[in-house]
Amino acid sequence: MIDVARIDHWAATGSGPFHRASAFSKSLFVGLVVTAAVMSKNPYPLAAGYALLLIAATASRLPWSTVALFSLYPAVFAVLYGLSLRGGAWMYGLLFFKAVTPAFAMVMLIVSTPYPKIFSLMSTFLPEIIASGLFMTYRTLFILLDMMNSFAAAIRLRGGFSPGSLAKNSSNISKGLAMLLIRAVERATRLYAVMAVRGYNGSMAEARIGRPSRHDWLPIGAGTAVLMLVVVWK
Amino acid sequence: MTHMHIPDGILPVWLWVSGFILMAFILGFSLLQLRNIDMKRKIPLLGAVAAAMLVAMNLEIFIIGYHINLSVAAGILLGPALGFVAAFIANVMLALMGHGGITVLGLNTFLLGSEAVLGHTVFFLLKKRLPVFWRAATATVLTQFVATLLLIGIVAVSRVNPALFGHEEEHAGAIRDSVRMFAAVVLSFGSIGWVIEAAITGSVMKFISQVKPDLLGHVLHRGTSAEK
Repeated sequence: MIDVARIDHWAATGSGPFHRASAFSKSLFVGLVVTAAVMSKNPYPLAAGYALLLIAATASRLPWSTVALFSLYPAVFAVLYGLSLRGGAWMYGLLFFKAVTPAFAMVMLIVSTPYPKIFSLMSTFLPEIIASGLFMTYRTLFILLDMMNSFAAAIRLRGGFSPGSLAKNSSNISKGLAMLLIRAVERATRLYAVMAVRGYNGSMAEARIGRPSRHDWLPIGAGTAVLMLVVVWK
Repeated sequence: MTHMHIPDGILPVWLWVSGFILMAFILGFSLLQLRNIDMKRKIPLLGAVAAAMLVAMNLEIFIIGYHINLSVAAGILLGPALGFVAAFIANVMLALMGHGGITVLGLNTFLLGSEAVLGHTVFFLLKKRLPVFWRAATATVLTQFVATLLLIGIVAVSRVNPALFGHEEEHAGAIRDSVRMFAAVVLSFGSIGWVIEAAITGSVMKFISQVKPDLLGHVLHRGTSAEK
C-alpha cells in the first residue's frame, strides 16, 4: 500500500498552485481525466495527456517523480489483464495509459489536498454516517499504522518472524492484528467518550464545497486539456 | 480475493455503472437497517474496524499476490449492515490512495461487502456447533470461495468488451480460454490465500472472544452472546 503518512505530509505542507486550488476544482480535474480514460480508444492521446500532467505536476512543485512512481502501481494489473486478452502492442499501450493517466491525476489530488478537505467535500453528498465514518477511519488509520510498525519491530527483535515458517508467522500476525483491533476499539470508545463530553452530536466532518480560488484554472485547465486531447485525437 | 485492482477505463461502462447502482442499493438498504441504532456510539467502532481492515491490507503474501482483508472479521464485529458500510469506507480510502480505480468502486464494495455480510451470516449460523476459531475459519473459507466466484463472474462478463480494441471476432475464443485460465489461477492460488486468511481470522476472533468477548455480542447482534 502507498505510504499514507508521506502523502498526508505533502498534502499538508505544500504551497504550490495546485495546493492552493480548491478541493472541488481538483476533484473535477480527476473526473475529467477519468472520463478521458474511459472514452479513449487510442493510446497516443492518453500518453500525451500523461506527459501534460507530468509537466503540470512539475510546474506546481508537486513531488512529480513519486507521483509518477505511485501512478505505475495499477499498470501491473492492467498489463496482466492485457496479457490475458492476448492483444498486440496497441492494446497493451492503451491498457497501460488507461491505467496510469487517471492514477496520476488521483495521486496529484491526494498529494496536494489534505484528506479532511476531501472528506468535507464528500460530506456534501454522502450520508452523515459515511462521512463521519470516513473521517474516523482516516484518524484511526495513522494510529494503527504506527502501532503496527511498533508491533512488527517488536516481533522481529524477539525472533517472532521465521522465514519459511508460515504457521508460526500466521499465528504471530494474527495475535498482532487481534491486539491491534482491540486497542483500536478501545481507543475509539475512549474517543467517543471525550467527544460526547465536548458536545458531539453525531456530525464530525464539516460539509463544505469550499470557495473557488484563482488557482482553480490549473486543475480545471489540465483536466479539460486531457479530455480534449482524447476527444479531438481519435 | 475480494477486491479487483483493475484501474479506471478498462471495464465496460455498463458493468461499472451497474456496480455503482448495486452498491448504492445495498448501501441504502444497510443505512435503512441502521436507522434505529445509536450511530454516535457506532461511528468510532466503524472507523476503528475500517482502519484495521486497511492496515491488514498492508500485509501482502507476495508469493501468491494475496493480501489479508479482515472483511469477515469486520462483518462479525459490526454486523452485516455496518460491515457493508465499512467495506465501502475501506474502498473509498483505497481509491483515494490511488490503489484501485474510482470507476470500480461499486464492484469492489459489492465484493468486499458481500464478504462482510456472508461472513457474519455463516458465523452466526454455526453458533453452538463449532468453537469460535472454527466458526470464523469456516465462515472465511466459504465467504472467500463465493467472493472469488463473483469475481470470476465479473471478469467473465467484462471480457465481452473486445469492441474496445476493435477485434471482436478474433477475441471471441481467446476470451473464453482466458477466463478459464483466470478462473484456474485465482481458484488455485486464491485457495492458499483463503486458508491463510481463515487461519488469521479464526485466530483473531478466538483472541477477541477470550480477551474482549463483549465485542462479539454488541448491540447490533441482539440475542447473541459471546461464546468461547
